Amino acid sequence: MTPLAKNSPKERDSALLMAVAAGDRRALEELYLSYHRRLARFLSRFTPRYENIEEIINDTFMVVWQNAKDFRNASQVSTWVIGIAYRTALKSFRRQKNHQIVHSLEDYPEQTVDPTSDTEVTDWLKHGLSRLPIEQRLTLELAYHMGHSLEEIAVITDCPVGTVKARMFHAREKLRQYLPTLGGGASELPARIG
Amino acid sequence: MTHNRRFENSAEHQEVSALLPWYVNDTLADAERQKVDGHVGGCAVCRDDLAVHKRILESINAQPALDYMPMASLKRLQARLDAAQAQTASPPIPPLEPSRSDSPWRGWMAASIAAMAVAIGLLAADRWVQFEDRAKQPNYRTVTTSSPRPQGEVIRAVFSPSITLVELQTILDEAQLKIVSGPTEAGVYSLASNSTLTVRSSLALLRRHSTVRFAEETLLEPEAGDPP
Repeated sequence: MTPLAKNSPKERDSALLMAVAAGDRRALEELYLSYHRRLARFLSRFTPRYENIEEIINDTFMVVWQNAKDFRNASQVSTWVIGIAYRTALKSFRRQKNHQIVHSLEDYPEQTVDPTSDTEVTDWLKHGLSRLPIEQRLTLELAYHMGHSLEEIAVITDCPVGTVKARMFHAREKLRQYLPTLGGGASELPARIG
Repeated sequence: MTHNRRFENSAEHQEVSALLPWYVNDTLADAERQKVDGHVGGCAVCRDDLAVHKRILESINAQPALDYMPMASLKRLQARLDAAQAQTASPPIPPLEPSRSDSPWRGWMAASIAAMAVAIGLLAADRWVQFEDRAKQPNYRTVTTSSPRPQGEVIRAVFSPSITLVELQTILDEAQLKIVSGPTEAGVYSLASNSTLTVRSSLALLRRHSTVRFAEETLLEPEAGDPP
């Protein structure tokens, strides 16, 4: 094992999770603090209420605490933790129907928005995102907001890769309807990214 | 157009089209990335889709992200873990003599007991100060005279009679409140804000707990002596 690998986030997470499995509360706290920001930012895209966000994060880490000993290194620790958060969030959103609160954005005055402005394009995006089924939206956010690969999202959502691709395809097609200015901009953008 | 249609119906086009989101978020393996590069150059449909994906990604990441302070949340997680551990650690029939095993819970149990002792001590000291204050006050009160509101009181609350001191303190810490007076004969506590948290937020946090039987804001109530 190289010193670099020892210090990598993956190695650090693995070491922390092993300590958590052995009942080390300090390791759990360290893991909690290292994941709180990204989980809170991710969840805040679905619910504006911090008490809901906190409940999901804390429920997630209760599961991490209870099940750390069952982790078998079949995936990265981060994928495993975010997978628990995904399932906890999905249950919470379905139970509390929080995403329906976001659905009330359907009442936005569509005709008064000039879609050429960047800010208003973001409003159209919010509008479109709010109309996606929660699984499609979570998949989209996992890819674009969290930066997960196709395979990681398949593990996180416990779905075949084909299902993840299908969710992204449908999400894009629905969003295209709500983002009318995006379709015509292809020629202005470079064909290659990066 | 014929050129594009040829691409659109091909297996390669379908495969590349499905990979575009991960081309955009830069997580494709080299071989897949090269395949997308090779295809997109000659396929206007994929270039258009790619532009859509790129704009969605940019818009999603352009939205402001809120950052939350994790310490208060961590504290509440610790309280839940303590409660869960206390439940697990307390057997139905208490053992006659303490176990000599090196259980990892023992350290936490000892820490919990110490924390409870400190909390009880602090609350007892607080009660003693309040008792002394009350002793200085006249021990009668007319029915028509409203009792003066304790200094700083923003919320009045009644807790379940079965609530423990540790639970009470945890709830108050969470809602960032402190006891300034009480309990009255009716079990009413006067609570003051301990932070910059709004009274409504503290109230909402209190009301989340089933052990809080009653909680109301008192700020908007008229002070004694105010015109009706």
